[in-house]
Amino acid sequence: MLWVDKYRPKTLDQITVHQDVAQNLKKLVTEQDCPHLLFYGPSGSGKKTLVMALIRQMFGASADKVKVENKTWKVDAGARTIDIELTTLSSTNHVELTPSDAGFQDRYIVQEIIKEMAKNRPIDSKGKRGHKVLVLNDVDKLSREAQHSLRRTMEKYSSYCRLILCCNSSSRVTEAIRSRCLNVRINGPTEEQIVRVLEFIGKKEGLQLPSGFASRIAEKSNRSLRRAILSFETCRVQQYPFVSTQAIPPMDWEEYITEIASDIMKEQSPKRLFQVRGKIYELLVNCIPPEIILKRLLYELLKKLDAELKHDVCHWAAYYEHRMRLGQKAIFHIEAFVAKFMSIYKTFLISTFG
Amino acid sequence: MTKKENNLVLLSSDEEYCGGQSSSSKRRYRKTKSQPPLPRKSIRQAKKARVLGSRSCLQKDSRNVDEFNLFCEDFDQVFSTFKVSAGSGSICRNELWIDKYRPHSLEELAVHKKKVEEVKVWFEERLRTPKDASGNNVLVITGPAGVGKSATINAIASHLGARLCEWDTPTPVIWQEHLHNSSAGIQYTSKLDEFENFIGRMRKYGVIPSCFPVDSRQPVILLIDDLPLTSGKAALRRLQNCLHLYVQSTQVPTAIVITDCARAETTDLTVRYLEELQLCLENAGACKVAFNPITNNSIKKIISRICSQEQYNLAVEQIDAIAKSSGGDLRHAIMSLQLFCLKPSQICSSSSSAPESSKDEELPPTVVNDRFSFQFGRDETLSLFHALGKFLHNKRQSRNELLSDSEFSVQESLLRRPLNMDPPEKILCQAHGQARPIADFLHENVLDFMNEEAVDDACVVASYLGDADTLLSSYEGMLARHNDAENILHLAAASVAVRGVLFGNSHPLSSRWHAIRRPKLWQIEGSSLFNKKEMVKQRFIAYGGISLAHFSVIATDYVPALKWLGSSVSGDHENLRMLTEENTDFDLVNSGDQESHTSDEEIEDW
Repeated sequence: MLWVDKYRPKTLDQITVHQDVAQNLKKLVTEQDCPHLLFYGPSGSGKKTLVMALIRQMFGASADKVKVENKTWKVDAGARTIDIELTTLSSTNHVELTPSDAGFQDRYIVQEIIKEMAKNRPIDSKGKRGHKVLVLNDVDKLSREAQHSLRRTMEKYSSYCRLILCCNSSSRVTEAIRSRCLNVRINGPTEEQIVRVLEFIGKKEGLQLPSGFASRIAEKSNRSLRRAILSFETCRVQQYPFVSTQAIPPMDWEEYITEIASDIMKEQSPKRLFQVRGKIYELLVNCIPPEIILKRLLYELLKKLDAELKHDVCHWAAYYEHRMRLGQKAIFHIEAFVAKFMSIYKTFLISTFG
Repeated sequence: MTKKENNLVLLSSDEEYCGGQSSSSKRRYRKTKSQPPLPRKSIRQAKKARVLGSRSCLQKDSRNVDEFNLFCEDFDQVFSTFKVSAGSGSICRNELWIDKYRPHSLEELAVHKKKVEEVKVWFEERLRTPKDASGNNVLVITGPAGVGKSATINAIASHLGARLCEWDTPTPVIWQEHLHNSSAGIQYTSKLDEFENFIGRMRKYGVIPSCFPVDSRQPVILLIDDLPLTSGKAALRRLQNCLHLYVQSTQVPTAIVITDCARAETTDLTVRYLEELQLCLENAGACKVAFNPITNNSIKKIISRICSQEQYNLAVEQIDAIAKSSGGDLRHAIMSLQLFCLKPSQICSSSSSAPESSKDEELPPTVVNDRFSFQFGRDETLSLFHALGKFLHNKRQSRNELLSDSEFSVQESLLRRPLNMDPPEKILCQAHGQARPIADFLHENVLDFMNEEAVDDACVVASYLGDADTLLSSYEGMLARHNDAENILHLAAASVAVRGVLFGNSHPLSSRWHAIRRPKLWQIEGSSLFNKKEMVKQRFIAYGGISLAHFSVIATDYVPALKWLGSSVSGDHENLRMLTEENTDFDLVNSGDQESHTSDEEIEDW
């Protein structure tokens, strides 16, 4: 088992990074009055861990008995029925799902499937009907229509079930939903916090940590605890005992994007653009989300760029990122950005060096 | 009686078919109503029916013997009757000109001399040494509709003095009939069975002139004009087997006529089956002669000949227009001609006031011609790839025509020379282009057609394609599929994509041959989707489950780490990767599904 999973805190009490939040949640749950919750924060900050611990706090050990279902739902949408495939993870008391997986049909999930799930509530030992908890991931990736219907669902079934929403950015969740939930902001852990967690794991595993090594990993991790722990483990596999100057293995896809960036800087031509497209395809096949590709690419390009171009390039990156969200096929827009960059950069080169 | 029937043909071939059936032979008394499986066929039926009607009733009686019909084309006799009718054009106004002016000698054929010669020589050889079991007694003739494939065979048969036997396709049985028949105790045999029987008999015994009181020394040519329609692989396999056997063992010189359909026009399986059959026949050792569309000049010659015989005076331009609009289909050209000559004065006068359509630049822009071609022409179609080629090559008029008539003042950098083609929207329409595949194809291929230095162009094009993509997705999901708003949106998106490419690619490469690739994007999407699902599943198994992890997290964080770790868990991941990379022909779950398959196959021929 990976260390990330092995040392994931199981209960609210065990949580160290967001201790205050955990304690507040505990108090909230023990007082039996749990509102809808919206957790938001960057990736690797511990939202999921908190949610799972919270559910365990609410329902005890039964929350651990989960099953995964890949089910096709038949939804009546006016004249026709739509088949929606959705993976859900459920115990008797809670269901977890990612409605945005259904793409533009996400609103049906939000309306129909949640309704169905909310209908059959578990009965507790005293014969009282309990609440069912629905965990929705990636709420910020829901389409606007889906978010609207989610709002309705929340109101209608609030007596049957509680929603726990998770997302990275609350700004993409509509105001209406945010106001109906208790918003819990989960910050990314600070580097000191990451170092402390790493040291804790090191102690448990009986490892010698040279000074400064943990902080180097923390630095590289981009304030994502998950990534820090994963690279800590890879370091352990690569070389032990640790040396404080030891290389921290980079993510392969990040390397790859660095390569693409240097390709772009080297030559600006339609032919090169075509090669770049091939490499981006490679990334997309391996499920690297296009937004992350674009962001990382911009980051790599900016590193090597003359200061006076930075502003312009950032502007276009933002422009094409927006188009990408509006559009359907990410490659069109990533490529448009690369082409734009090439065009800008080439003009710059010509005007500077003639 | 038959004359009346022929009047109906003008209105609807369907009607004629039924009428022709009932009048021509009592054998088909039970099939009162039937649908023609192919329009081509019904015309043929009509032809036959008419010919029969104008002949003596002796042959009519002899026809109802078997399900295939051997008839001795007593061409001399027929020829003479036709001569008579042709001489007095005004009397036989009701006759179809296609039948009236059927070619009866080799000289009359509009088909290229060499082709005719080729076929003739082939038959001559076969007939000279008829009992030579060379196993090569089958000739496959292919070509578009209306180029005179059957006519050539007929003419050659009469030229060689051979008797022409034909496989006469049985009439399809509809369900009600079948019910009626089965209650009456008549067994249903499938058409394919019947064909198989026929072929088997022909293979074993040759043509049995049982019902013909004719000279048995007369050589025989078998003409199979309608291969049975097959649906499904099994039926196709049977037909293939039976034909294969036949090709290898028959002693009778046989011509099999197969009509090509333009592949782009249809995603129909039957067309593909026909092609497979053709291949199979060739593999079995059959000779193949491909007929090309008839040239404009030959069509014009024929039309003028008919005109002079019918004593109509058509302007050169009108003949030109008919020939041009026929697209190499002589039958169609003659039909158009007859229709045109019906009331020439009316059509001309009505069309002169009609608005001018923008077709046919090469023709002198007389209103009559434009209007005319508009009314009677076959709709031109383009293959998707043809259209894409046009867009990507971006042919423009030479520079000196620039600026002369531009009404708007545009910046120098935004000026483009006028396009050397129809408006892009029209081409799209002819190619049945759908916005999504068009955009994908353009995106995949446009970079190949750009100048090496033109990054700015690439940028403009990429941006426009991005716009098209955005347009395509804007209402995705909100509107039903058949909604008008979405249709318009798609049209707009296609237009933006195409015009963006045309505009952006301002320094196109000088035209040389480029392969047009199938968008790799489709494959990427498929395997990406597959990978996503697998990743989540693997992750869940590895973790023992309690929480779903999002694929992006897995892809960006877990997978690279697992790769470094090289643990047993990552072994699974590696396997997974191998698996997906092999799996290149992954089915698309996307909406463009069907499209992708057809074009995939098309591209190999491109």
